[in-house]
Amino acid sequence: MISLINISKKYNDLEILKNFNITFEKNKITCLFGPSGIGKTTIANITALLTTVDSGEIKGSENAVYSYVFQEPRLLEWYSVFGNIDFVLKNVYDDKKRKCIVNNYINMVELMGYENYKPNALSGGMQQRVSLARAFAYPSNFLILDEPFKGLDIKLKDGMINLFERLWNIDKRTVLFITHDVDEAIFMSDFIYVIKNRPAEIIGKIEPPKYNSKVEAKSVLLSLSGTSSNI
Amino acid sequence: MMHSILRNKTRKFLIVLFWITVWEILSLIINRDIYLPSPFYVFKVLIELLKSRDTYLTIICSTYRTLAGFLISCTTGIILGYICGTNKFFHDLFNPLIGVMRVVPVMSIIIIAIMWFSDTNVPIFAAFLMCFPIIWTNTVNGIKSADIKLLQMCKVYSIKKMHIIKSVYFYSAVPYIEAAMISALGIGWKVTSAAEVLSLPKYSIGGHLYDSKVYLEIPELFAWTVIIISLSCIFETILKKLFKSRNYDQSY
Repeated sequence: MISLINISKKYNDLEILKNFNITFEKNKITCLFGPSGIGKTTIANITALLTTVDSGEIKGSENAVYSYVFQEPRLLEWYSVFGNIDFVLKNVYDDKKRKCIVNNYINMVELMGYENYKPNALSGGMQQRVSLARAFAYPSNFLILDEPFKGLDIKLKDGMINLFERLWNIDKRTVLFITHDVDEAIFMSDFIYVIKNRPAEIIGKIEPPKYNSKVEAKSVLLSLSGTSSNI
Repeated sequence: MMHSILRNKTRKFLIVLFWITVWEILSLIINRDIYLPSPFYVFKVLIELLKSRDTYLTIICSTYRTLAGFLISCTTGIILGYICGTNKFFHDLFNPLIGVMRVVPVMSIIIIAIMWFSDTNVPIFAAFLMCFPIIWTNTVNGIKSADIKLLQMCKVYSIKKMHIIKSVYFYSAVPYIEAAMISALGIGWKVTSAAEVLSLPKYSIGGHLYDSKVYLEIPELFAWTVIIISLSCIFETILKKLFKSRNYDQSY
């Protein structure tokens, strides 16, 4: 479990966060739902200790091992699919075990036969699958997904969401999931925090599993966020 | 495809022909070989030179000096560039020295080198000093151009600094280093010949340039210059081909 307590963060004069509080519960998927540019990625980067804070405290980060699926795949274009996943595991496993794990995850994201391809020979969706495989192959206990399905077509997105569900059910971790897509949020999350305003604040929290149907949860989320379909 | 390659080659040939014609017309107007010999005369002298065994020995020796200077500057420039690109202290320490090296006149370097080294090593040292700052600067810039997003990714996955240098910085700097090596090689040929003119080692193109000047054999001077240009072009092409084959390897 990681908690951000009274976090404040400014970029120049722009106040992104002011006394912001949130908790990410262990082995649950917590979603930050809100419009683009509101500071969701900043919250994720602060949680992953990639961004420093002006004031406040991050509790529980000392035991956290992170993996991160960024908005873009962030692959090393000079390495193959295999090499990219292998790269993050070098400090963790010996050669033999690494090879086995990497191949296993390449299998899971259905990229068998593409092991030796360089990222620029793959489509955007395939690259994002490599990024997802890399995040799951790394033995983290805290996984951050920052709009990982952005720019993918609906079919590909559904495939990726299913893939995520499958991987996550095999190997549960605490997940921080960022999106501004209502369906993704409802379908994937245990908790959804609706974030708005500047500095960013949580204007509501819903728990989709507690509702009788996804449709009901969706209408609650929509009325809370004050939008018609997605923001 | 074949057709367009052929057309491209014809075009290149015509461009070269055009400039040779300009040269010929100018030499006809001036009409004095001592100022500007005609291209045909230069070509004749060149053929004569190529019949002599000494010419090849000279070419081999000058090539050795140029490549030695070039390779030493590449090795040290890249290694030191990596250290300075990834370590601020070393960057600040070496930056002023390399700034000075960049602006020191070639002639000062050559004359100082004549005092310090044997005649054959002067051109090597001069080429090294002229090429090294180019390689160093580009390596450092290449490393600094490393994608911040990839570095952030490395931080999340707790990648060791050694692996980051090897897998992120190294590859980010490669295109910069390749460009620097190509321009350094051209400069290497120029500086080596200039240093040879002053240090006059045995079997050197620069030595022949000097002789041509002393004995007023201007067509010979032109012929040797043509040889230097051809050597420079040949080695540049080889280097570019090497880089290209490496890039092809990477596409899959």
